[in-house]
Amino acid sequence: MFQSERWRHFDFWLLGAVFLALVFGVAMIRSAIGCNLSLAALVQRQMIFAGLGFLVIMLVALIDYRFWGGAIVPMYAVIVGFLLILYLTAGQRFGAARWIETGLVSIQPTELAKIVVILSLAYFFGKNMNAPRTWGWLVKSLLIAGAIAFLIFIQPNLSNVIVILVIWAVMAWVSGLPLKQLAIIAVVGLALAVIAFFFFMQEYQQDRVLTFLFPDPEARHGATYNVDQALIAIGSGGLSGKGYGLGTQTQLCFMKVRHTDFIFSVIGEEFGFIGAVLNILLLGFIIYRCLRAARLARDSFGSMIAFGVAILIFFQGAVNIAVNMRLMPVTGLPLPFISYGGSGLLSMMLGVGLVESVILRHKPLDF
Amino acid sequence: MNTRTFLPRIQNWRYLVVYAVMGLVALIFVGRLFNLQILQYEDWKAQAVENYTKEISVAPPRGIIYDRRGYILARNVASYNIVVTPAYLPDDVADIQGIYRDLAALTGLPVSRGTVADAKLLDACADGPGIMQWVELGASNAPYTPVKIACNVDENIALIVRERSVDWPGVSVQIEPVRDYPTGSLTADVIGFLGPIPARVAEDYTDKGFLPGRDKVGYAGIEASMDDVLIGTPGTRVIQVDVAGKELRNLAPPVEALPGDNIVLTIDTRLQAAAEAALVTEIDSWTAYYGYERITSGVVIAMNPKTGEVLAMVSYPTYENNRLARIIPYYYYKQLSEDPRHPLLNAAITAEYPPGSTFKLSTATGALNEGVVSLTQIIQTPGEITLCERYSPTEPCTDANSRPFRDWIYERNGVINEAGFGQLDFLHCIAYSSNVCFYKLGGGYPGEIEEGLDIQRLKEYAIALGYNQPSGIELPGEGSGLIPDPTWKRRYRGENWSTGDTYIASVGQGYVLATPLQVLMSAATIANDGKLMQPTIIRGIQDSEGNPVTRWLNADYTITALSAGAGSRQISPFLPTAKWDITVDPVITDYQCSGGYCEATGLMKTVQPWVVQKVQEGMRLAVTDPLGTLNHDYSFQNYPIAVAGKTGTGEYCDDVALAANRCSFGNWPTHSWTVAYAPYEDPEIVILAFCYNGGEGGVVAAPVVKLVMDAYFELKAIDIASGTP
Repeated sequence: MFQSERWRHFDFWLLGAVFLALVFGVAMIRSAIGCNLSLAALVQRQMIFAGLGFLVIMLVALIDYRFWGGAIVPMYAVIVGFLLILYLTAGQRFGAARWIETGLVSIQPTELAKIVVILSLAYFFGKNMNAPRTWGWLVKSLLIAGAIAFLIFIQPNLSNVIVILVIWAVMAWVSGLPLKQLAIIAVVGLALAVIAFFFFMQEYQQDRVLTFLFPDPEARHGATYNVDQALIAIGSGGLSGKGYGLGTQTQLCFMKVRHTDFIFSVIGEEFGFIGAVLNILLLGFIIYRCLRAARLARDSFGSMIAFGVAILIFFQGAVNIAVNMRLMPVTGLPLPFISYGGSGLLSMMLGVGLVESVILRHKPLDF
Repeated sequence: MNTRTFLPRIQNWRYLVVYAVMGLVALIFVGRLFNLQILQYEDWKAQAVENYTKEISVAPPRGIIYDRRGYILARNVASYNIVVTPAYLPDDVADIQGIYRDLAALTGLPVSRGTVADAKLLDACADGPGIMQWVELGASNAPYTPVKIACNVDENIALIVRERSVDWPGVSVQIEPVRDYPTGSLTADVIGFLGPIPARVAEDYTDKGFLPGRDKVGYAGIEASMDDVLIGTPGTRVIQVDVAGKELRNLAPPVEALPGDNIVLTIDTRLQAAAEAALVTEIDSWTAYYGYERITSGVVIAMNPKTGEVLAMVSYPTYENNRLARIIPYYYYKQLSEDPRHPLLNAAITAEYPPGSTFKLSTATGALNEGVVSLTQIIQTPGEITLCERYSPTEPCTDANSRPFRDWIYERNGVINEAGFGQLDFLHCIAYSSNVCFYKLGGGYPGEIEEGLDIQRLKEYAIALGYNQPSGIELPGEGSGLIPDPTWKRRYRGENWSTGDTYIASVGQGYVLATPLQVLMSAATIANDGKLMQPTIIRGIQDSEGNPVTRWLNADYTITALSAGAGSRQISPFLPTAKWDITVDPVITDYQCSGGYCEATGLMKTVQPWVVQKVQEGMRLAVTDPLGTLNHDYSFQNYPIAVAGKTGTGEYCDDVALAANRCSFGNWPTHSWTVAYAPYEDPEIVILAFCYNGGEGGVVAAPVVKLVMDAYFELKAIDIASGTP
């Protein structure tokens, strides 16, 4: 597997696009923390994470993705164990137990769990590609995703539950989900969503949904403050933006959580319409390269891995951008490759590594 | 390695659906971005600008008040406040505590006391909460706004804090302008004091750019009446702020604040000090004599009768306006406002008292001008005469409605003097201040004065001498006094005018009320040969660089650079303004009186100049005649400068006297008055002294006038000698 001729198939376009996105992200984080010097260390940390991320890509690319197929059960067990530990120790930070403090770095097992879910589902769907699409097939796949989703749900971390469920649904869809089943799970899903809203959501989550659906025009500094400020930032960016480091909404701290949830607004403000569209195109290109790998993969396991990673990037990115532009209620999903956050970035890089591993081996023989 | 093979068997169309959804989402995003950033750009841009733009008002320095010789009476001084900006404090809680402890040791404030909720209810720097509570309160409101923890600290403490602020991030010294009155209580009644902008006018001031929480307005004295002149124009700065309100830079060139104009008063602080000393010494000596504080308040006014310039105006007791400079302390204000002696009021212009015999100047002028009496006529002035109280001219005089009217000389120190002054001519009536004489002149006396001056005509002459109307001096709260007439009595007392009312009004008693300034004006008018000068306290107005500016005071109390027509007078540069000249301007309504009935003829008349001169002679005689009311060793006996004057002993019955059960015939308490001018031939100073419950005017008030007169001429000599008149 270290044979040099294999690297001909390595997707340098994907790697290049990710590199570009990371550099751009670090630059935007540097601008976003401009008004709060106590966050200055984040730039360096993100750069370290980015460097580590590239090592991860290379390392994972080197390992034949089919290896993970054999390691599915222990991997799954380890991640469930992590999530259980997290639930039981429940160190509350920002209202939810999402980190495990290792003393050196804090790990967010949830991010890793999303990759494990993709691998597990890819393995299951790939293995059963020729099996009949019975309810049993669907329920089994749901259980794989659902067990982890449940452990994340009780953290509680609703956004990532939705991410996992969406990955499951879309992967099931491309694996050949019959339209009848789709219709039924759509109805059931909607019903569950309504029930979840009224019985399982925390009050703050309900408020977020409500303020999104019925914004209060008087609530200048209330619940809609963050999104209002993000909209002002984006809108006031205009065609070409205010310039790097010159966004008043960003640099004067009117926007909150600029370096994570609202970094897209920073881009929109400082680089305007052009910058925001280019950013969307860049992410679109990364997703396209993943989907390309999915289609070129030598087997359905690899295909489903690449596809799952593409969906992960797409869905997180789309939700983040939609939140920034008030097309969705506020959730805490970061913008892939751009937003600050070590665990999220590393799991994205892990995903890209898997995709590279898939594309690297897309032809059984190469003459 | 896993050897199992997975065959890709993914249907193409399912991929296409995914592509389509992704493409649609991307399209929606681009559309939304286009809408926000291109179509709605202007709206969002405006909101972003509004976010970071803040307009702040720059306080203008208040104008300075000088006395006529350039001595500062009101100025702005720096007051040092120790402030903490919560956002700049160190991150470490222990470091913050360390700073608090050091500050506490330096200022004597507690580190922590009470709760933030307590601090919320109090004004900044109020006693009570500790440093921690103040800072916590400030941090929760606006972390970049400095919180005052100690106000008006000693300059040395301020310097120490400033020196150590390097080690104490977040702690600094704020310099706040505070009004300072170098002469304090000496001029408090004239200068006044400042207070916060009242809520009811807050909007007017806010419109002009003032901040109700920061800027102050005059509450009394010149500070109040000339507030518009002194206050200046606030500047504005448009600044960029961050979300916490931290100031970043100017967005537009700042508009400088325009300092208020300076005011030069006509007051001579040295004479003011002499006047206050004379009054207080007199009051204190009588307090020592009686063993209790009999004279509770007093007034001294000194004015140039030819120009109307008020050189001294003392109202005792007064207050210390420096104690009201930073904030108005509740307990002090309460103490002042509940004091029955009304120290907050400038009694010289606001208080109305019965003028007593000083009012005889009006009766004398009227009686002589109307021919009620001639200069040669001898009037019988026994110690007591019987007059009857008739409510209509047809009512007969009987024993039932008659009562004795006594002269002031009738009973002195328990000795009854039946003969009284015996018989007097007109001039000696003034000189001796014979009540019996003036009863007869005012109300008539069968066989001697067939037709008295009567109330209608008396009122005309009193008004001509300045009574019954505010003088128009540039100070707030002036009283108008009261000269009654039959219409007034019917309306406000529900009773017909009686002959007795006329008798006692002729000697300044009964319903007659006057402010000390009005009494002074009546004497000043006589002294100035009938020309009543507008009393003024303003000698000039300067811009902040000291250049004189032209200002007019209009009838509606606005001050403008140009005259607003009728009723306007120039107050800067100083221009002596005559209200009228009674010997030239026909200000007196002509009445034809017969048998107690007076009817207006529709004509207006003047006072003949010789009449004014004879009244002057009568006032001079009060000093020169051995029996004159001002011929005493403690008044103007053998005074080197020719003085003329009039004393007054006004019986009164107010709430204080009523409570002491003094309001009965023969037992009335009396106010002391004396007004005198000098030099007789060419008057340049007229001085009035008033002592509340002082007793006989010539005994109690006259010595005060004499001392002030001494001071005036002594100061004049000093000024001439030093070449700075």
